[in-house]
Amino acid sequence: MAKKILEVKQLTTKYITRQGEDVYSVDHVSLDIEEGKSLGIAGESGCGKSTLALSLMGYYFPPLHYTSGEIIVDGKNISGLDPDTVRKTVLGSDVAYIPQAAMNALNPTRKVGKFIEDVMKAHEIKMTKAEVREMAEQRFKLVGLPVEALDKYSVELSGGMRQRVVIAVSTILNPKVLIADEPSSALDVTSQKLVIKMMKDMMNMGLVKSMIFITHELPLLYNVTDDIMVMYAGQIVERGSAHDMVFDPVHPYSRGLMNSILVPEEGNRDVKLTAIPGTPPNLKHPPAGCRFAERCRYAKPACFYSVMPITEFAPGRTYRCNMSVDELREVYAREDAE
Amino acid sequence: MTKGMKKYFKKKIFWFIITFIAAVILNFILPRMMPGDPVNAIVGKSISPGATPEQVQEQIEFYKHQFGLDKNLLGQFFDFVKNAAKGTFGISYSQYPRTVSDIIGAGVWWTVALQLPAILTGWILGNLLGALAAYRRGVFDKVLMPLSLFISAIPAFGAAVILLVVFAVNLGVAPVNGAYEPGLVPGFNAKFIASVISHYQLPFWSIVLIAIGGQAVGMRSMSIYELNADYVKYSRFLGIKDGRIVRYVFRNAMLPQVTGLAMSIGTMVGGALVAETIFSYPGLGMAMYSAITQSDYPVISACTLIITLMVLIASFCLDIIYAFIDPRVKAAQFD
Repeated sequence: MAKKILEVKQLTTKYITRQGEDVYSVDHVSLDIEEGKSLGIAGESGCGKSTLALSLMGYYFPPLHYTSGEIIVDGKNISGLDPDTVRKTVLGSDVAYIPQAAMNALNPTRKVGKFIEDVMKAHEIKMTKAEVREMAEQRFKLVGLPVEALDKYSVELSGGMRQRVVIAVSTILNPKVLIADEPSSALDVTSQKLVIKMMKDMMNMGLVKSMIFITHELPLLYNVTDDIMVMYAGQIVERGSAHDMVFDPVHPYSRGLMNSILVPEEGNRDVKLTAIPGTPPNLKHPPAGCRFAERCRYAKPACFYSVMPITEFAPGRTYRCNMSVDELREVYAREDAE
Repeated sequence: MTKGMKKYFKKKIFWFIITFIAAVILNFILPRMMPGDPVNAIVGKSISPGATPEQVQEQIEFYKHQFGLDKNLLGQFFDFVKNAAKGTFGISYSQYPRTVSDIIGAGVWWTVALQLPAILTGWILGNLLGALAAYRRGVFDKVLMPLSLFISAIPAFGAAVILLVVFAVNLGVAPVNGAYEPGLVPGFNAKFIASVISHYQLPFWSIVLIAIGGQAVGMRSMSIYELNADYVKYSRFLGIKDGRIVRYVFRNAMLPQVTGLAMSIGTMVGGALVAETIFSYPGLGMAMYSAITQSDYPVISACTLIITLMVLIASFCLDIIYAFIDPRVKAAQFD
């Protein structure tokens, strides 16, 4: 079995609102990733995907706060470290982040090359300016970016180029875990493809040891990541391999998600798309039972009050539902036949 | 210099010249459209009560000829341009036979010495306070911001009058008016300098206070905007130190503030008018004010011309400075 590069155990983080209320937007999330693997996280807007991404960095600032749980990167527990240690030794090198709005992630008045110098300085890496420059040039060449971009301000780069520059800067310290929060959502299809290819290449070259890819675009995940995890209302509801999750989702929410999109595969031409009615619950007051019960077409009375733990029903496959897998599959088969 | 830069500056200079010509014409015409005849006023003051109508007429003709007011408007305009080119700006009506350049020369250093330090102090303090309020938030922000808003909303004459009443009249800790003790002869000696400094305080702080309030309010909102920018969050998650991020933020937040600084330096003379009038400070603002009340066209035109030129130069410099300090402006203008 391959080495686990990231292990997250029962991680819980919360937002404290202006009114002083606690909102647990990451609720006892456990996950792990093996070296060289990638994990996609899917879910609607407001499911806690982006918050999970931020929480995994081990670096919290208001309104986000750490509550409990562990984050172990390559055997090192980063959840108990003080913020300045995290900043110096974890961010960028253990866990690196590509933000949702990568288009605007660069300081408009700092040249890309200068910013890379700042990153190096922040991690107290003893390198002269010339050495940093040399290293940055090599890295840019390696990942297929023009070296001239180092002498440019972000406004002088196109959107797609900016995005790729951000990825190159984020991974300059060869992170063990790269967390990409919808890195391609603002791009056209061609730029998207370039971005995805770049990230895959970096994995293959070993510059990045593992990757978490957050998106609401499921077809993208199917093509990019090894595993897919579905989140709902701050919790994980199902996890499995990308293929299984797309073609054999077990949890009603996962199934709803998969039915609401088209995976570009043969035979899908005549598939009807259905939407999930309703919206995710307000996490200020999470439902007592299954969080999806209110929107679930198969919900039984017990679903509304009994708390369901997440259970493994096959190797590498977990789900969180009152109904058994067989029961669910039976219902789905009947539905599909109609 | 790139080709885009050259083209950009050529265009800027072209508009600079057009604006300047238009301003010169307006500076000439507008004062002369004011009601009241300056010559009548001068003759009325200077002539002895028993003069015959012929003598009065003779005097009027004399002054009209002296001032060139017997020519038509176009002829007067050419005189104005000629005198401006010579640098004398003609002869003052109200302080005949002093030349305008003499009057301006006497006032300009008082104004510069009062305004420039005041504007700079207000700008620097205001920006520091605004940046601090944005960064520290909390109580600091809750006290400072309403106060800044309040102060920046006080009209310039209001602040000056309040300072005057409180410190000069009620407390008696500062002189009421003037730039130095009336009996003193200007010179480089301790007594004169001490007098200048004590007379300097009230007009100085009346300008500084208002500048601080306005700058602080602007800087605070710019800083808050920048602090919430995506690049701040990204830099944080890359492990960049807080101190460095704060430097990014305040550098970017300062950019629009530079406009405010250049503009207040550009409008220095006009801005001095209120403070100088209230404190009877012998600067350009005061000269302009008394010229306006006495329809002294050459002095008014010269003062407004100075204002126009300073604003034009300030905005021209701004365009050039921005091209170097803000890559976004550079990218937008030179391509």
